[in-house]
Amino acid sequence: MTRQLAFRWPGQTTATAFPDIRLAQGEHLFLHGPSGTGKSTLLGLLAGMLAPESGTIELLGQPVSSLKAGTRDRFRANHMGVIFQQFNLVPYLSALANVTLPCRLSAVRRTRTSPDPETSAADLLRQLAIPDDHWHKGVTELSVGQQQRVAAARALIGAPEIILADEPTSALDADNRDRFLDLLLALAEQRRSSVIFVSHDRALASHFHHQQALGATP
Amino acid sequence: MSKVKLALSLATASLWYRRRVLALVCLTLTLSVSLLLGIQYLRTEIRQSFTSTISGTDLIVGARSGQLNLLLYTVFHIGDATNNIRWSSFQKLEQDRRINWAIPISLGDSYRGYRVVATNDQFLARLQFGNNQSLELAQGEWFDDLFDVVLGAGVARQLDHHLNDEIVLSHGGGRTSFSNHTDLPFRISGVLAPTGTPVDQAVYISLDAMEAIHVGWESGVAIPGRGLSPDRARARDFTPDSITAAFVGLSQPILTFQVQRELNQSRDEPLSAILPGVALSELWRMMGQFEKALLGISAFVVVTSLVGLVAVLLTLQAQRQREVAILRATGASPALIASLYSFECVVLALTACLLALIVGAGAIAGLSPWLLEQFGIQISLRPLKQDEWLLLAAVPVSALLVSLVPATSTWRKSRKQGFGAADTD
Repeated sequence: MTRQLAFRWPGQTTATAFPDIRLAQGEHLFLHGPSGTGKSTLLGLLAGMLAPESGTIELLGQPVSSLKAGTRDRFRANHMGVIFQQFNLVPYLSALANVTLPCRLSAVRRTRTSPDPETSAADLLRQLAIPDDHWHKGVTELSVGQQQRVAAARALIGAPEIILADEPTSALDADNRDRFLDLLLALAEQRRSSVIFVSHDRALASHFHHQQALGATP
Repeated sequence: MSKVKLALSLATASLWYRRRVLALVCLTLTLSVSLLLGIQYLRTEIRQSFTSTISGTDLIVGARSGQLNLLLYTVFHIGDATNNIRWSSFQKLEQDRRINWAIPISLGDSYRGYRVVATNDQFLARLQFGNNQSLELAQGEWFDDLFDVVLGAGVARQLDHHLNDEIVLSHGGGRTSFSNHTDLPFRISGVLAPTGTPVDQAVYISLDAMEAIHVGWESGVAIPGRGLSPDRARARDFTPDSITAAFVGLSQPILTFQVQRELNQSRDEPLSAILPGVALSELWRMMGQFEKALLGISAFVVVTSLVGLVAVLLTLQAQRQREVAILRATGASPALIASLYSFECVVLALTACLLALIVGAGAIAGLSPWLLEQFGIQISLRPLKQDEWLLLAAVPVSALLVSLVPATSTWRKSRKQGFGAADTD
């Protein structure tokens, strides 16, 4: 949950204010709003990569906004999965290595995989319909849809409590988009992960428990 | 520890991914490290071969002069003797109980630019070079007849002479001499094995022969009708009046300074006795400046290629913003991301060092027979010495240092990294 959150980029005269958000564990939130309303900025704040100018963020009972940068990095590694709009994968790692990356950065995520990160990653990739023969290939050979699904597997591995998704479907066609969203939410529910999903496409809102518009409120 | 392993595996994967671009940088670095290591190696080798130009000889005795001058004309055949020493002085040396052996040498003539050294069979038996290696004959025998000559390996090779060829010595030094000992030609009786020392660059005759060819030359030029015919010469006894210098070996090396002092203070004749090792290192000190400059230049070449490496890494940095964004969002700390650059630099430098070792070993193994054949330089493959290892180790260390440039800039940027790559554009 957030309270009276505001953020100012360097050189910006007025701070962007964000509405207060409260979300229970396991519930999904759809954030929408036109471009320039600070959707990505809000995700950056929630992820702990940006520090708010004012206000507080509390995640899983931890006052994230008052933690030090290094602790925020560790919190993110342990409790968050992220999916970007595109270019989600480390180009020099295979699909499988991209998926297991969070387990190598966080012992918490690693211990939550069973029996080990590789098997868990293989399960996820199978569920997300990535063909076996693509697992060990370079990720640049994958289609955009496949890349986004590999990124979803990476966000889901080790069952993080929070998954932040920044318009992950904007580069996909309608069929792919719906399939992606269904898979992501189904797998997140299995793991009791909350998905915070940002998009300008309001048609997707029906998939989520809550929705919140940005930019309209001061 | 697991973080270091992760960074290392990411760094190697990233290097492999960018191998096309980085291979060129690695090649530049390999060549420059090979150059640096090669120069240091040759420096040590040449110094070694230089300081062991002569070994086993405890003293060199000649007419009174400076030690460098004496060393230069006796060992290196450079310059001329200031004066001769009397034969009687040499005989005294031979009779001295502390002196184990003495080799007389007489200089002054030349053969097509190469020095003629008149000596006796002690020269072959006693003179040593390198690591106490003795002289050996590659072909034929040491001179026996009055008009036999033995060639150094370099002379035989350069002038393409063979056993039993007849040669005419010239009076005085220099490549072209107008007064030749034409009436008394010499027969090549033997050729010495290559040594990589100035021994290769001289021809050897007996002391008697040196006297014989100068009968009738007392005024400095041949006086017609006063020279000898070979047969008449063989019948005569030619005990020399004087020689140029003598190499001396003592029975006990501990007596070296005592004998040296006595010879230097000799009342019979003004003599100089020098320790060849001391004189050689003094000479090397004078010549050593050049090779130091060479080493300095090659170190700069390495620095230049390291700077090139950093330039390439900085260029690649622009391409890596997305990757940094992903790693940051997955929870990697700025320090981990910065360390990728350092690891990549060091891994590249280590690869270059390894390749340089292989290139260097291959080059030395491949070129050493040719070097000995063409230039009389003996360079052999040996394990690296401590200072060479240190020089090699300095390469990854400096790579680590220069990697701090891209590493800190990445560290600073990734601390301000927003959510997603778009924010960093």
